[in-house]
Amino acid sequence: METDPVPQQVQDPIDSADLVVSILADFDADLLAKTYGALRDLPGPLRIAVVDNDQRLSPASFNLESTNKSALAEDAQKTAAVFHVSSPLTRAEDNATRAVRLSEACQSVFALAEKLNARGCCVIASKLESVTPGSVWQLAQPLFDGEADLVLPHYARRKFDGLLNNSIIAPLMRALYGKRVNNPMGPDFAASQRLIQTMLVMKAGANAAVGRRHPLAALTPTALCENLRIKEVHCGARTYPPIDWTSMSSLLVDVLSPVFLDMERNAPCWQRSRISSAVPAIGEPRVAGADPAIVDTDRMVESFQLGNRELQEIWGLVLPPSILFELRKLARLPVEQFRIPDDLWVKIVYDFALAHRLRTISRDHLLKSMTPLYLGWVASYAQDLKASGAATPNGRLERLSLAYEVGKSYLVSRWRWPDRFNP
Amino acid sequence: MWQQVKQALSDSTAHFVTRFAGLLPGLAALILALLVSFIFAWILATVVRRLLTSLHFDERLGRWGLASLAEWSPLNSPTLLVARSIAALVIVSGFLIGIAAFDFAWTYLFVQSIFAYIPNVIAAFLVLLVGNVIARFLARSVLIGAVNLNLQYARFLSIGVKWLVIVFSFAMALEHLRIAPGVVQLAFGILFGGIVFSMALAVGLGSKEFVSKSLEPDAKKVSGDPRVAEPVAEDPLRHL
Repeated sequence: METDPVPQQVQDPIDSADLVVSILADFDADLLAKTYGALRDLPGPLRIAVVDNDQRLSPASFNLESTNKSALAEDAQKTAAVFHVSSPLTRAEDNATRAVRLSEACQSVFALAEKLNARGCCVIASKLESVTPGSVWQLAQPLFDGEADLVLPHYARRKFDGLLNNSIIAPLMRALYGKRVNNPMGPDFAASQRLIQTMLVMKAGANAAVGRRHPLAALTPTALCENLRIKEVHCGARTYPPIDWTSMSSLLVDVLSPVFLDMERNAPCWQRSRISSAVPAIGEPRVAGADPAIVDTDRMVESFQLGNRELQEIWGLVLPPSILFELRKLARLPVEQFRIPDDLWVKIVYDFALAHRLRTISRDHLLKSMTPLYLGWVASYAQDLKASGAATPNGRLERLSLAYEVGKSYLVSRWRWPDRFNP
Repeated sequence: MWQQVKQALSDSTAHFVTRFAGLLPGLAALILALLVSFIFAWILATVVRRLLTSLHFDERLGRWGLASLAEWSPLNSPTLLVARSIAALVIVSGFLIGIAAFDFAWTYLFVQSIFAYIPNVIAAFLVLLVGNVIARFLARSVLIGAVNLNLQYARFLSIGVKWLVIVFSFAMALEHLRIAPGVVQLAFGILFGGIVFSMALAVGLGSKEFVSKSLEPDAKKVSGDPRVAEPVAEDPLRHL
């Protein structure tokens, strides 16, 4: 019998599944159908629940009514059975930011996986440049092979892709938790039942005073602090949403706030780790396509200079005098000589994380005031790469990550004695 | 005749002495009340000062954006300001209690009117305090937002917003205190309008080129930031 490539619409409520899959990325109907088809071709018996609140694949459009249920049941022993399910949680509001929508979707998938007693879940939130129907199983397979509790993607890097991740999130988590995870916030990932249960327990016990947990930001730290196994899967390059300069500061707030909150919660855990080690990876590293050549650094340096001129009173509450002095010196440099040294950038990030913890000023103001500094780093990084003529950013980013590791003692000292240790 | 003058003088003296003797208990009560209030004020001020010092009140005020309160405080210490204000309040209360002890109708009415006025003073103080906090919060929000939009007049906008809110809260506080309400309303209208007008002029003149460009028929999409008008697809930067 020829198998239908789309999920089967089951009339009876589903009470169990082995894997819960949610595809949040903007796949077209054809790719979506092929992806589900690839899942259905997996060797059975495997029950896969596909979250599809948007009804992107309606039964009518794929002529599902003709499916013979008895034949299906017989076939289910040989190949995987794929079901449509609706998310049990309410959806994020339409005007919510992408980060909030992702957070809600992840919570929803975790809750559903727990409800269906699934062995794992897989979320695909980004679109690869060379996406294949098998990419879902590529992430989920290590869970079923018993090799990992969290599977994260290792995207092929282009110079100017994922800058916020490369400049702050990945090296920070590497320095804190001692594991070289390249994309700790996914957004694609696969998580085991054990990790899902841990996440749900932590969510239930989250202290309202400390703030809500963002599942994507909490995923990797939780796995590392609970000594769960992490694996990376080499993927191709990601396609990224177009940049919106007007909401850059909101992006920083949405992304960094949960990261810093998790840092606060896991302080006893990360203060124990010292050196970093690599995370096992599956597959061969892929090469990303060519980078667009021109980056206009002038505007970003201007932003930095303006911030340095106008935000001194705010930065003065967060940064020690020595760093403020360095920043003032940098602001006087001509654009072509503008460079933020790695150790200075690392201290800035650590000081902002500390100020976030101490609530020195409103957290929203704090992270928004970091925008000119971040743009300054991006400009400095772009000029570094241009000057070195390197084909890939890997060497440059490795240097930055090492600077984060070296600077960890500074963070630990300031974290433990914020008033006393103020260089 | 002489007898009558003598009698009148004697009556007047007796009346004066009697009235003066009648005043003495009140006077003693006033002195006592003042003395007790001084001692009580000193104790309370010491306790408050020590408590606020242990709570790092001065540093916390700085973090809450009320650092300028230090400029108005004795020895640049808001802790001292609070302690001395409480002491002054206690002494004034003691004085009013002492005054009320003079069992006269006018002292009673005076004290009553003072006490009736206290809620207005407290309300005005709260309005000023909240207005100050809001003004600083908004000023900081505007400053950060304007800097992130690359606006060169970010500082000016921030100061303008701060003073708008402060003037507004000051006018509200004076209204509560019932101090020359007509004059306050007029002055507030002139000052508020003046600030808005000067800000509009400054921003308008500062960005007239941008506005005129945005009004051209084939203008790119209007935005607060000139750089977003450029085609975003050409930007190679991808942040997350």
